[in-house]
Amino acid sequence: MNRKAKWGIFGLIALGALVLLAVLPGGAKQEFSVAEEFTLKPIINLPSLAGIDLSVNKAVVYLWVTTAVLVALAIVVSRTIKKHPGRFQYTIEVLYELARDGIVGGVMKSGKATWFPYIGAVFFFVLASNLIGLLPLPLGEHWQPAYYAATANLYVTLTLALFTFVFTHYAGIRKNGFRYFVNWAPPSAPPVLKQLIWVIHLVSEIFRLVSLSVRLFANMLAGHAILGVFFAMALIFQNYLAALMLQGGSVLIYLFEIFVAFIQAFIFAILSAVYIGGALDQEH
Amino acid sequence: MDAQAAKLLGAGIAMGVGALGPGLGLGMMIGKALESIARQPEVAGDIRTNMFIGIGVTEAVALYAFVVALILIFVA
Repeated sequence: MNRKAKWGIFGLIALGALVLLAVLPGGAKQEFSVAEEFTLKPIINLPSLAGIDLSVNKAVVYLWVTTAVLVALAIVVSRTIKKHPGRFQYTIEVLYELARDGIVGGVMKSGKATWFPYIGAVFFFVLASNLIGLLPLPLGEHWQPAYYAATANLYVTLTLALFTFVFTHYAGIRKNGFRYFVNWAPPSAPPVLKQLIWVIHLVSEIFRLVSLSVRLFANMLAGHAILGVFFAMALIFQNYLAALMLQGGSVLIYLFEIFVAFIQAFIFAILSAVYIGGALDQEH
Repeated sequence: MDAQAAKLLGAGIAMGVGALGPGLGLGMMIGKALESIARQPEVAGDIRTNMFIGIGVTEAVALYAFVVALILIFVA
């Protein structure tokens, strides 16, 4: 048998398998709601304190896991540090160098040593949180594995953005004193325009808070929602061929989400560095 | 058309139209970045870093539309 005929038979078998998958009756009908995955139900009920609900839910557990992983990583890396790094130490060193030289060193002019601890910590926290969000932890309604990420929660990202917001103005006031607020408008502008520019700058400062938090939140939520929609579609179609194709697609999206997790951590840290650097070295 | 249908239509239109601008912007920006990398390969690292910052800022606009669509479906 020549080569062409072999490939022809192989193609026919593959085509037949696909057709068989398409016509086979699918599995049992199941309900799956994507929105349910993102509703936070308390796992441990705790009383509320002054109107603030202290119950432990999925997002809190993911934050604990992130913190534990980061602390463990820091202890392990600092205890086992070697002159000739292995693969593990080299990875951490590359990330550390990216935070120190790529983000802080590349963007800020002064105050690099003062602000590197904060920006580095934010970079590693967001990165670890995004990556741990890609692992399903058994926190579903019936303790089944469920997807969630701490950074797919607006309150978490808003808190991180508030840190950057507060530190930006703290850094600016400490370095430039009261001139910091005066410098928001260029001194050479004509009188009425100057006040207008100052107000526009004030609005843009507040919108930085919104854009910084919503960007990270929406990116992580969108990635998890797309994966959830793929699973839900596989259940709705009740067809093995559709399920196979959707699972293949969700693997590709999962790989893309790993990339997004890195990029979003990088962008969050570099924008924090840009804002703090801009407050330290005002252009006007 | 009842209120639910209007909400779903609005969410679809918000996402579709909202993805149009960022899509065009991302295409232009990445195209320009590739052009300049092809012209000056020695500064490829700097251009790539700045391109990723630009991607993050531009992509966020589409995600605002996504958030608006989610609000229309689940909250409004």
